[in-house]
Amino acid sequence: MATKPHIDQRQRTKSNASPATSLPRVGAHPWPRRALVAAGAAATVDRLILALALVTGAALRLWQINSLGLNSDEAVYLGQAAAIAGDPILSQFFPIFRAHPLLFQFILALAYPIGGTDGSDLVGRLVSVAVGLATVYLVYRAGARLYGRRAGAIAALFLALMPYHVIVTRQILLDGPMTFCATLSLYMVSRFAATERPVWLYAAGAGMGLTFLAKETGIILLGSIYAFLALAPEIRFRLRDLALSTAIMALVIAPFPLSITLAGGGGSQRAHQYLVWQLFRRPNHEWTFYPSTVPLAIGPLLILTALLGLWLVRRRWSWREKLLVAWIVVPVLFFQSWPTKGFQYLLPIAPPLAILAAQAVIQLGQRAAATKIRRAGWLAPLLAGAIALTLLVPSWSRIQASTSDRFLAGSGGVPGGREAGEWIRENTPEGARFMTVGPSMANIIQFYGHRQGKGLSVSPNPLHRNPSYEPIFNPDLQLRSGELQYIVWDSFSAGRSPFFSEKLLSYARRYHGRIVHTESIPVAAPDGSVVQKPVIVIYEVRP
Amino acid sequence: MIGRRVFSTVSTLLACLALFIGLLPQRAARAAEPQPKTPIKHFIVLMQENHTFDNYFGTYPGADGIPEGVCMPVDPADPASECVEPFHIGNRPIEDLDHSTATALNQYNGGKMDGFIWALRLRNQEGSLAMGYYDGRDLPYYWNLVDQYVLFDRFFSSAIGGSVWNHMYWVAAQPGSEENRIPPEGYGDDVITIFDRLEERGISWKFYIQNYDPTITFRTMDQGGQRAAQVVWCPLLNFPRFIDNPDLFSHIVPLDEYFTDLQNGTLPSVAYIVPSGASEHPPGSIRAGQRFVKSLIQALMRSDAWESSAFMVTYDDWGGWYDHVPPPKVDDYGYGFRVPAFLVSPYAKRGYIDHTELDFTSILKFIEENWGLEPLAERDARANSIINAFDFSQPPRPPVFIPEERVSEEQRPSPRRGVIYSAYGMGLVLAGSVIGWAALDSRRQRSADPVYPLRRLTRRRRRSMTKRSRGAPDE
Repeated sequence: MATKPHIDQRQRTKSNASPATSLPRVGAHPWPRRALVAAGAAATVDRLILALALVTGAALRLWQINSLGLNSDEAVYLGQAAAIAGDPILSQFFPIFRAHPLLFQFILALAYPIGGTDGSDLVGRLVSVAVGLATVYLVYRAGARLYGRRAGAIAALFLALMPYHVIVTRQILLDGPMTFCATLSLYMVSRFAATERPVWLYAAGAGMGLTFLAKETGIILLGSIYAFLALAPEIRFRLRDLALSTAIMALVIAPFPLSITLAGGGGSQRAHQYLVWQLFRRPNHEWTFYPSTVPLAIGPLLILTALLGLWLVRRRWSWREKLLVAWIVVPVLFFQSWPTKGFQYLLPIAPPLAILAAQAVIQLGQRAAATKIRRAGWLAPLLAGAIALTLLVPSWSRIQASTSDRFLAGSGGVPGGREAGEWIRENTPEGARFMTVGPSMANIIQFYGHRQGKGLSVSPNPLHRNPSYEPIFNPDLQLRSGELQYIVWDSFSAGRSPFFSEKLLSYARRYHGRIVHTESIPVAAPDGSVVQKPVIVIYEVRP
Repeated sequence: MIGRRVFSTVSTLLACLALFIGLLPQRAARAAEPQPKTPIKHFIVLMQENHTFDNYFGTYPGADGIPEGVCMPVDPADPASECVEPFHIGNRPIEDLDHSTATALNQYNGGKMDGFIWALRLRNQEGSLAMGYYDGRDLPYYWNLVDQYVLFDRFFSSAIGGSVWNHMYWVAAQPGSEENRIPPEGYGDDVITIFDRLEERGISWKFYIQNYDPTITFRTMDQGGQRAAQVVWCPLLNFPRFIDNPDLFSHIVPLDEYFTDLQNGTLPSVAYIVPSGASEHPPGSIRAGQRFVKSLIQALMRSDAWESSAFMVTYDDWGGWYDHVPPPKVDDYGYGFRVPAFLVSPYAKRGYIDHTELDFTSILKFIEENWGLEPLAERDARANSIINAFDFSQPPRPPVFIPEERVSEEQRPSPRRGVIYSAYGMGLVLAGSVIGWAALDSRRQRSADPVYPLRRLTRRRRRSMTKRSRGAPDE
């Protein structure tokens, strides 16, 4: 561990083994003109694939990007950004300090003046898209570094088209920036593994610090790095460098504890409450949640191809495969066992999966070419095209206007939410208070409607509720005394909490609820016709 | 024959006319209703009970509240007497302080205003409680309300006595009788009320009573039990001409109708409201009173009537509590001590404290001026109107639901945003510096690599070959 081999020497011996499109060593013998032309054409193809990835990635992420209003999580993060930017109205409803560090909210706050109160949702989503496309480019760089430019370009294309990444990076969620920072760290680690220069390990520490600042759950990937270093003995490092890298990570993370301690505003207390709540909260999904949602969003063919690629090189796994597999397995194991589950939580595994799948495509192509079967050279492009198509079609389908009255958190905007909020802002007295089925619709009402919302399903037990949410301790009393003047029912929350949905409607009936506004969306009826179905109903109630 | 035909035609026409008039009595009456001189088409006034201005708003910023250094002597005749300073009541239990005319005069003590404890001790009460006060912690809704609308800090009860006189001044600008009690035969036709004037001019009005029992009037109050007090709160129930005339009597209605009138758009031009359980009369709950008032104001705000209405809240008498302003003497009956009063209206000045000298007859004055009515008596003729509280040059303010919680700036600390910007900015700079250092180091390393220039050369050559190959076939 104390000594290490000369970097260039090890790099040469390794790099000759796998990259398909890497150049032959220069200087060993003069280059034939034909080989040079072929290499140049290959580089052009790589650039074209990358350009295609970026263009289609941008198109998928920007298509009708703001046709639906923000969902609950987006409203919270943008509300926090508005509060950081000093928006006098939204800061009443959204405290700056909630569950997560504030790197992305801080960046959104810098962009907040561009959109102002009314256009901030579009600006926020555009920032998210920019981060998503930057991740696509980073995957190209990481893939190229690990398996050559062709693999990098194909991996970038896969990620650009992947429904999972497309859906999440169209929204103002922390997981997109966290995945960007995580991929940056992955790239840094791969540079360190390739060169064994400690400066890349320090840079990886900085990248991991940013990953934590984007979303604290990113710290799980530290486990991936340590697992990788443990499983790849060929990568040698000094403990001193590892300690220094960890110290740099701690320094980059420091803004989180520093700001909640020094900025005041109850941030420190809330952070502790969140910690307690996260540690003891009940599971929010079944254990089958990830197996049933994430593989479909990543693309089953892509996953199969990645697995096939790993199987093909099973006897000679290099540090590259170990790094990528560690980057996937550790978060999967952690989040599968962690009681709190969220659709977007596993997004950091998307880039390494895309790289592995791209590597598999290259591998299969090389093997097919080696068989001398006629037109075997088409196998790799065909397979890559097939995977791309299986990603593009569901992505395209998912970004179309929703015709469902059900909603999965983190999977997109809420139909009718913005319109209902704007109606509330225009048509209800300032200071009016709304009772909703759950806190999700309350957040949307607060963001777009500028009125306080309280979720009926928020538990009065502090151990069972998000510390940011206030429960309604006695709904009857609050309705009777006029503290709550409106009731909002929505089909999305009702789908998740049928009990509280029925309870809420019973209050609407008991307190002479009068429907004052309805938001409907077109849904497909059983007979195939399209009918308007109410998804959000606002009642005015009177004692 | 012709005569019979003419008779039948005329009869038919008359019948149709009668039917038309019968079907549309309200519309016809409304069409004839005189238009007000201000944008206020609906004036609603609620009378709560038994508090002074200092008791409710004595510490309200900017108002003429409790002066510094006040200490009320227990015995004003004894210079060495101990004294009691004003104190915050908070959650301490309270009692119904004596508020008879005799106590009022003893507390007034010839204008020295130093008998507030002594007068109560004469009635076998400990008396120190009179120096207690409430503030925004106890009256969050009222304090929030006056933050947005108008608070009157020189609003006196009309008579230095109890409820009966003051309620009479509220509707008739006179005490009604020499004693602060309802005459056994009721009030005579010589006592003219504002409702008589409104009725004469065809202006709609209603008197809403919470938990109203129409069987209890001055004639039956002895059998009324606890509900008998409604004849004090609603002086009209002591007028034979109001209770014997079904048409006039129909204007006295349960409070429920206030809400339905708002919903149906049938709120009258002038509405008087009196409570029953939520009157804030000690030892009743002041929080319940606030909720009651809130329900009335919110219902108005949610209705179409809001844009053309004004809602006034006041208190019938001082209830035995301390107030530091000696009431001006305008006649044998008054004024009495100051009482809380505030106005909510889309045309009310925002967060305004009105120092105009007012009393209950000022309310009558406004109604009379707004609808062009003759004064009822000398008091209202001489009184100042509450008109100064309005700003009719402004467009009507949209309704605002005032919260029932009062959150001070200390309770709602604002985070220092500069710390967040600095901390995260530094984090980004640090991470960027380390990553940039790594990139620079890598470039330096490549430059030092003996193979690197060859790679660059090869790359350049490859590019030129590719270009050439597009133009000419490979050799």
